[in-house]
Amino acid sequence: MLALALASLMACSSPTVPSSYTDRKESPQIYPDYTDVTVPVNIAPLHFHIDHSATDKAFVTRFTAGGEQWVLGGEDVRPGLKKWHQMTDAALAADGKINVEVFIQSDAQWQRFKPFSISVMKDSIDPYISYRLISPSYVTYEDLTLNQRCLENFDESLIYGNMINSDEHNGQCINCHHTQWYNPNRLQFHVRQYLGGTVIAYDGKVQKIDLKTDSTLSAGVYPTWHPTKPWIVYSTNSTGQSFHTRDPQKIEVQDTKSNLIFYNLETNEVTPITRDTTDLDCFPFWSPDGRYIYYVSAHWERRDTVNLDFELIKNYKDVQYNLYRMAFDERTHTFGPRQLVYNAVARNRSVTLPRISPDGRWLMFTQGQFGVFHIWHNDADLYLADLTRIEPDIDAPSPLPGLNETKLTHEDSVRIAQAEAIPLPAFIRPITEANSADVDSYHSWSSNGRWVVFSSRRVDGNFTRPFITYFKADGTFTKPFELPQDNPQYHRQFLRSYNIPDFMSGPVTIRPQEFAKVVRKDATKAKLKMSGK
Amino acid sequence: MEFLKKHTWWLGVIVVLAVAGISLVQQESELLLRGQELNLWLPTGLFWHTMMQYPGGAASWLGCYLTQYFYYPWLGTAILCGLWFVICLLLAWIYKLKGPQVLLTLLVPLALLACLTQTGYWIYYQKLQGHLFVPTVGVLFAVLTLCIHRVIPNRWGRMAWMTATCIAGYPFFGAWALGATGLMALPSLLSGPLTKKLVPFGVGLLLIAFVPKIYCAQVFEMTKGEYALVAAMPSMRYSADSFEQYRLPYYAIILAFLVLIATRYLQQWTNRRTLSWWMQSAIAVALVAVGIVGVKAAWYRDVNFHKELAMNRAIEECDWERVLDIAREPSDKKPTRQIVMYKNLALFRLGRCGDEMFLYPEGAEKQNAPWQIHMTQVGGKLIYYHYGKENFCYRWCMEDGVEFGWKLETLKLMARNALLNHEWEVARKYLDLIRQTTFGRQWADHYAALLRNPDCMDLQKVEAAIKAGKPILSEKDTEEFLPIMHMMTYPDRLDGDNTLVEMYLLNSFAKGNGNDLLFQEMTLICALIMKDIDLFWPRFMRYATLNPEVHMPRYYQEAAYLYGHLENKVDISRMPFDQSVKDTYDRFMQFNAQCGSMTDAQKAEAFAPMFSDTFYYFYFLVRNQKTN
Repeated sequence: MLALALASLMACSSPTVPSSYTDRKESPQIYPDYTDVTVPVNIAPLHFHIDHSATDKAFVTRFTAGGEQWVLGGEDVRPGLKKWHQMTDAALAADGKINVEVFIQSDAQWQRFKPFSISVMKDSIDPYISYRLISPSYVTYEDLTLNQRCLENFDESLIYGNMINSDEHNGQCINCHHTQWYNPNRLQFHVRQYLGGTVIAYDGKVQKIDLKTDSTLSAGVYPTWHPTKPWIVYSTNSTGQSFHTRDPQKIEVQDTKSNLIFYNLETNEVTPITRDTTDLDCFPFWSPDGRYIYYVSAHWERRDTVNLDFELIKNYKDVQYNLYRMAFDERTHTFGPRQLVYNAVARNRSVTLPRISPDGRWLMFTQGQFGVFHIWHNDADLYLADLTRIEPDIDAPSPLPGLNETKLTHEDSVRIAQAEAIPLPAFIRPITEANSADVDSYHSWSSNGRWVVFSSRRVDGNFTRPFITYFKADGTFTKPFELPQDNPQYHRQFLRSYNIPDFMSGPVTIRPQEFAKVVRKDATKAKLKMSGK
Repeated sequence: MEFLKKHTWWLGVIVVLAVAGISLVQQESELLLRGQELNLWLPTGLFWHTMMQYPGGAASWLGCYLTQYFYYPWLGTAILCGLWFVICLLLAWIYKLKGPQVLLTLLVPLALLACLTQTGYWIYYQKLQGHLFVPTVGVLFAVLTLCIHRVIPNRWGRMAWMTATCIAGYPFFGAWALGATGLMALPSLLSGPLTKKLVPFGVGLLLIAFVPKIYCAQVFEMTKGEYALVAAMPSMRYSADSFEQYRLPYYAIILAFLVLIATRYLQQWTNRRTLSWWMQSAIAVALVAVGIVGVKAAWYRDVNFHKELAMNRAIEECDWERVLDIAREPSDKKPTRQIVMYKNLALFRLGRCGDEMFLYPEGAEKQNAPWQIHMTQVGGKLIYYHYGKENFCYRWCMEDGVEFGWKLETLKLMARNALLNHEWEVARKYLDLIRQTTFGRQWADHYAALLRNPDCMDLQKVEAAIKAGKPILSEKDTEEFLPIMHMMTYPDRLDGDNTLVEMYLLNSFAKGNGNDLLFQEMTLICALIMKDIDLFWPRFMRYATLNPEVHMPRYYQEAAYLYGHLENKVDISRMPFDQSVKDTYDRFMQFNAQCGSMTDAQKAEAFAPMFSDTFYYFYFLVRNQKTN
């Protein structure tokens, strides 16, 4: 009996590849879909779940690389860290590929699915990403957390969670975390409502600043650090949200006003950059050389006499954003006139979230048909601009004034067709190799410019998950892979979205309780400094 | 006989617990059923990890697990009573209680019963997950640690165990571990020399004071300092208000333990002069009686609350006649808007709204809770679901999930919202989660079958299949989904409900227009309820046009007849009104002329016996129905 038990235990712990099987033509259905993806050498093991049902409950997966093989059993395929490193090392020593074969036994017959491979790149990825975890909710915000995840294993830890300073009556929202040039010691995030302020950690000093001044719309919202100096440009926004009654996109987040401000951490001074009430300026991003601020802007002049909020809600599909930039004078801290980089409006499109690669050459942005908060727009896709080929874009007004119906009329369709006939500028292309049929939105470049992490709702249309894609030397991307998790079905069970995944060179070492102490203190009021512009 | 004599008092304990269980099942089945719907337990590492983010997570985890068994109220109650009996047995052993003294162990389960039966509207608002079972789990944990404490022979060993209980127990059982520490420390004060008294007591106090602080500073990164001492206890707070009265049963648990400790040490102190058997019996019985009176006093009984629960379940089962039966049940209270809305929904689903909507009591009774109840957090989501406002249902499910934690009920609604919105993958996600719960598999499998056929959520295709005699939906699913699909035949727009479900539905439907008969009837009903004449006429005409062969329901006729007389904008002379409609109108107006000098309130009372079932009464005399 004991021998039998031991034998069966051995059989369980050491799966073997079946000696005979039939081949199936299709690739295996696995979750996450890691078939034919490209991964960095230092990524955590790609754990996946085999989605096929097997009547005999027998599953075997064989990994091979550089003449070595590793065989795992079970529906959940979870090579350990050590085994995974053996695989990646062996792959890099050979052709760079880990080949994977999935076998299942059904009705006493073994079948092998079409093998797939995982390409391993020597280009490493920054070891950490930070993100906010949030239920895709609408007004309430309990249990909001800013987290950091080591990409080299499965360790996740908290940067700051709002519940430590919240209660039933005093709710607190936290958002817009951002580090200066991947440096986890130079981090900022906002705390809204109760004990509100902007928490800025800079080389060990943590403070809470109140960025709202009498001459600015709001406190700072969407931030961008200067690559090296203690300066941050923010948008200031008056934001509202309303709810779709039928559309599964469910929510529309809109700005009724938005401008840009410059904040100098050394002098604690806020300087307005743009103040035009008919331009909605948003999502600034500092170029890696510090010479430009890229941002998006929509032009909106009031059409009706009704309340501006209602007017924008009524015409939400007409609010479209172009991509602009302004030169920055580091000496005087002033910004030059705006330059149109890409006229999306003329093409009946709207852009958001410009993000430039560390070498300054590539600009990635998200484009949808309207609005700026594309995480709720399932037509949102990633686009890439080659800034070395930048050329003046047509500066035409929107060809579609008054377009606000859910169901387009024939005339609208004709006008859209005409607008879409305007081709993209030569230096811009959609990243079709990484985009999906659903939302693809927030994105961030790795510090070596070889990897991009971006938010996507491609899995279920509702919950945002981080995907990572490799940027090849020829300017194209590989098939993205979902952030690996120890439990491969983790994201299927997880009821929160990943918001703003950003790379970091290491972990934030300030503990959540230390941030909490700072948050409980009164905010230091920023001073207003007006510039000539 | 000897056995019986020795254990008579235990029979008493069993009888009291049995009566408690039977009363619970008899009177609170709806609460228990809803309790398990407003609960979620998943057998996943993620769920455990989520619970353990806060101190006391294991108590919640166990509480959530056990709450599932209220799926069969008798089964959940049997488990509860079984645990209470175990607590009684252990308490009697810990405190060396004999004879009539064992009755005193009942004080703890009685306090636990009061924790549960006082729940009322907290069932929607309580943020502590598994709250129906957590007090029992917490007390059981404390009692088990006390058992081990009792068997440890020396003082230092007991102190070490007390320290271990506090340090190792706090992350898992929160305040219940602190309570256990206190219960170990306190008796040391009552016997032995002064130094021996003070050291364990002092250590216990230090542990209670510092262990939560240290954990919150070093381990639990999301726990606010002021909540550390009450971790895994129900908050009894809503918005800015804290409701001390709901904490009384929890204080009663402490009091019950003090009584037991006192009894134990009274025996020790009065070793030579024990109280007579009769005196002991009388005191024990009296204290238990006080406990029972306390439970009765704490028991939340509100006819509207229980009606809402029962109607909600009937709606979930699409048992519309039962909804109406419950609405008709006599009551000394006016109905809440929630009840009125449930009733109207049932009538609408049965196609009898136009003929019966004013046959039921009308009212806007405030829900019996010391804080403002919002319909969005009670039954509003289900109402939105059935009226085809799937995004708004989904929205409030999500908001509730964030604010009060994920529940089986919200996941079930979200799964069906997703199906109706053709969001197949996210529907699958919710169904997969539901399938993992102890009793959710059957429900999830039923709806998961719909995922395999997208046509089944397409109104045209479903109706075409029915006409062809090859239905693609089962009878039950047709009954549930088809009317909702009809109600979803409106164009998308951006909107908001400002948390007022009834006002939003009235406004959005009354101002809507469509080609679908069912949808159009709803627009007419809402225009009628809003008493908006300008909105009423176009909807009335359109309904009549869409539905030419069917007899015009009574209340639509009454509204048209009344509006035709109030304003001469529409010529009603050729409309074929029922004679009864005209007669009632005439009688109403005659009576009104007789009551000319009365105030509106007096008229409402005077007219009610004859006219409360008419639209005329509703139009003139039903006012200020404050919705929530």
